[in-house]
Amino acid sequence: MGDVARRALMSVAASAATLFCDSFVRIFWCRPSANASIHKRVLAVWLVVGSWFIGSTQAEPLIGDERVHRQPLVHETVAAMPFADIVAYGGHLFSAKFTILDGAGRPGATQSEIPTKRLSGELPAFFRTSGPEANACDGCHNQPSVGGAGEFVANVFVSDGVDDADFDSLDPQFSNERGTPAIHGAGLVELLAREMTRDLQALRDDGAERSRRTGRPVTVALVSKGVSFGHITLHPSGYADVNGIDGVDHDLVIRPFSQKGVFSSLRQFTINALNAHHGMQARERFGVTWTGTADFDRDGIADEIRSGDVTALVLFQAALPFPVQRFSENATLKAAAEDGAQLFTEAACDTCHRHALPLEAPVFVEPNPLNTAGNLRSTDGATPVKVALDTAGLKRNDEGHWLIPLFSDLKRHRIADDARPYFANELLGQRFVGRDVFLTPRLWGAGTTAPYGHRGDLTTLREAILHHGGDANTSREKFEALTELQQAKVIEFLKSLQIPSGGAS
Amino acid sequence: MRALFPLLALLCSMQVAMATMPPKMVEETAVSGVEHTYTGPWEFYVGGGVAVFDCNGDAYPDMFAAGGRSESGLYVNRSRRGDALSFVRSPLTIDDTIGAYPLDVDGDGHIDLAVLRLGENILLRGRGNCRFERANEAWRFDGGSGWTTGFSATWERGKAWPTLAFGNYVDRDKPGSPWGTCEDNALYRPNAGGVGYQMPLTLAPGFCSLSILFSDWNRSGHASLRISNDRQYYKGGQEQLWVMTPGEMPRLAGRKDGWRKLKIWGMGIASHDLTGDGHPEYFLTSMGDNKMRTLAQGSGRPAYQDMAHKIGVTAHRPHAGGEVLPSTAWHAQFDDVNNDGLVDLFIAKGNVESMQDFARRDPNNLLLQRADLTFAEASEAAGIASFEKSRGAALADFNLDGLLDLVAVNREAPLQVWRNVGGGNAKDPAPMGNWIALALAQDRPNRHAVGAWIEVRSGRHLQRKEVTVGGGHAGGVFSWHHFGVGVAERLSVRIQWPDGEWGPWIRLFANQFARIERGKAEASLWLPPPVGKGNQ
Repeated sequence: MGDVARRALMSVAASAATLFCDSFVRIFWCRPSANASIHKRVLAVWLVVGSWFIGSTQAEPLIGDERVHRQPLVHETVAAMPFADIVAYGGHLFSAKFTILDGAGRPGATQSEIPTKRLSGELPAFFRTSGPEANACDGCHNQPSVGGAGEFVANVFVSDGVDDADFDSLDPQFSNERGTPAIHGAGLVELLAREMTRDLQALRDDGAERSRRTGRPVTVALVSKGVSFGHITLHPSGYADVNGIDGVDHDLVIRPFSQKGVFSSLRQFTINALNAHHGMQARERFGVTWTGTADFDRDGIADEIRSGDVTALVLFQAALPFPVQRFSENATLKAAAEDGAQLFTEAACDTCHRHALPLEAPVFVEPNPLNTAGNLRSTDGATPVKVALDTAGLKRNDEGHWLIPLFSDLKRHRIADDARPYFANELLGQRFVGRDVFLTPRLWGAGTTAPYGHRGDLTTLREAILHHGGDANTSREKFEALTELQQAKVIEFLKSLQIPSGGAS
Repeated sequence: MRALFPLLALLCSMQVAMATMPPKMVEETAVSGVEHTYTGPWEFYVGGGVAVFDCNGDAYPDMFAAGGRSESGLYVNRSRRGDALSFVRSPLTIDDTIGAYPLDVDGDGHIDLAVLRLGENILLRGRGNCRFERANEAWRFDGGSGWTTGFSATWERGKAWPTLAFGNYVDRDKPGSPWGTCEDNALYRPNAGGVGYQMPLTLAPGFCSLSILFSDWNRSGHASLRISNDRQYYKGGQEQLWVMTPGEMPRLAGRKDGWRKLKIWGMGIASHDLTGDGHPEYFLTSMGDNKMRTLAQGSGRPAYQDMAHKIGVTAHRPHAGGEVLPSTAWHAQFDDVNNDGLVDLFIAKGNVESMQDFARRDPNNLLLQRADLTFAEASEAAGIASFEKSRGAALADFNLDGLLDLVAVNREAPLQVWRNVGGGNAKDPAPMGNWIALALAQDRPNRHAVGAWIEVRSGRHLQRKEVTVGGGHAGGVFSWHHFGVGVAERLSVRIQWPDGEWGPWIRLFANQFARIERGKAEASLWLPPPVGKGNQ
């Protein structure tokens, strides 16, 4: 047998093995438990084999089936689907209340982004502080509509899941409590971040090249889309002085997701969230490639989430409509909001909460070309899915770039100090980011995403503004210098920034 | 139906077996610019080492390969980042070379070379831009006249120059040679307060060593010298451990210390902390009975037991080619070739010459570590199962793409180089897991911190690596310290410097090159030229 033929046969056999092994678990749930008997499992094996042979398919309904995620899909399958179907499938997963039959729960694993075994000990299926603590994505992301924010009751507790994986205290020394941000417009946000990363890294690389060529140190201002991220000095040896970098990690990757700005892509965020909040582990991070097992969390279900499932979830979120400005029908309030927009600028709020950032190309390509191991990459052989995101209603600048009105600079800032310590109310740093440093929250949708602050413990926008410290002192002082009416107009302006009704498109 | 079950079981087991994720290595010998063969009579049945290091300061690893009776070769790396491997031969040649090890002997920032020969050993002082000059006289180094097959170096506490050890093989001039005529080994300590070396100390008895390694086996702060000896020629010999105490004569560890007698055809040493206890394990290559030595009674006594069988690294027979006779193993090296965060093991294999009782077709091994800390063979899957008589070898990232490439020196056959293209192919390489490449720097004399320990932490996973010079078979790597980190995007690194002082945890993002300088709380990032550019 020739080499090519042998490899092809092995490939087919391996695929068949994967399909069979997956199907075995999925068609006939045989989750090991204290009460499960070997006889039942043997019976299940025979039923599977028998069913397999007589041509039973998974499409046939099963009486009493309580799964909500019956057939995990690989990326290539999803990539071949019409976009509307992908979004619909992603929406289904976003709202699915995962059950233990689907793989919900992670008795053997922690919430860590890196596959981490849970230390010994029994834990309940749901655990408020270390998770899993949610049934469905939209259990929290639901205000004012699916994909939106969550109120205080939907707060989560985040920690790295490495050293303090299991704890039963709300004491902030063990975790940071966070509110639920809205996801609307996230596709455009990720695209902005990709372009900014490209810009910053190109500036860096160009500086390194010039330094090598000239034999002299070169200092480069790191500016993308009008946002300064400090500077970097490159030396002829190729070494870089990164001490001047500001508001972004030293690898110059803009990470626009989470309140700390620690996720670079919806895919990375989604995989983490599935594991942390639901105990649904994606094969591309927790599967056999990286952990040596298809059931890392030891819940009896193999490969709970496949690459196509993640792709669909990502594209559903990417396609959620972006927030818009919606004025009150009351002429007085409308006029106040319009004045408030001007005052927002005069108070220098837009120093960080930029009105808009220009996007060159609103074409969302999944997977993100910047993805690293543990998140599906195009170099893994995945066919990129390209989608033109909805830009209806967006203005364009002179260069033809779409102006994305997110009211953020996608940069991290120190937001608290001794005089204004409120936002430094966490005791744990997160993924190398200091306790008092947060990503500038996107204010689009602010009028429909109360409560405020990263802990969701501020009921009004005014409170949130007045707690600004650190890098935002000047802006806050300018706001405080406004008259009461002017301040109210700023608030009215922020109230006009709303998440539209309607789903992903 | 009954017949179906074995098939199904096989298919399901294949899924598990694939978990080791072999990289694809593309052989590029023919286009690499390297034309090199290790040749010679029986004195050159052993040796054939390769030293991998940066001789011109461009951060791309270059290599010096021993030639035996043929010319040695210094190959300057001209690869472009991520592209095919490309080298240009330098004029430097030395005859009768058996191996070479790189290190910065005089602390001037240029990497020097200790060249092992049949005859006088030579210290070559690096002058920059891949220029070298003989330094035996300037450094008062007596290169001897033996048959040298091993080398290692350590900086003893407070010394301005490294202590050098040369491992010798058979004394051909003694009556009855080669049987029972092993030559003693030599230890060179630096002159007190001056330049260069004292006359060598004799480490006797010698048992025909083929690999030696200074390593701090018990984390005492002082490296001991492990010597792997070839039982083929010694009488009453065994593996050895010389305990080094500053200012005192080295002392051979014995039974009272807990040292257990072990007799193998010792040919190469690779070390790594596999068990995660903070102490290195030692893989010893041999003819058939390769060993993985781990501490049996804690770090208080150098009592070692074997764990090769337990973790699946016996590699005692050819894994391909159809022969069932025992393998002959030479160079060995631990490193993570697929960047999954689990260190792997490469073993160079090949019959001594024409030994009838050992496999003639004896392919190299690439043993990939699995999540359960056992290893699985992947040499064929990776494409590096060469049937040449390999001797020295090195895993190093020659094109700085984050994937470790491979060079293997073969006896009486051309040296081979393979480019690691990860999950892709020659045209479209694809990354595998995440990685970090580190360089260490401290003040002279020991600028590159030989004897330091590097700790890389990602999540709960902690990797430890001792910075050593020596071991392997007749050659070693002195370049970026490479760590695969799997799916980790962020990691923390700290260094225990050679004098025992711990540095702070330093935060780094994956897939970067970084230099950690003593006394600094942040690493300096190094930017290679963009993909497909530079290094010309």
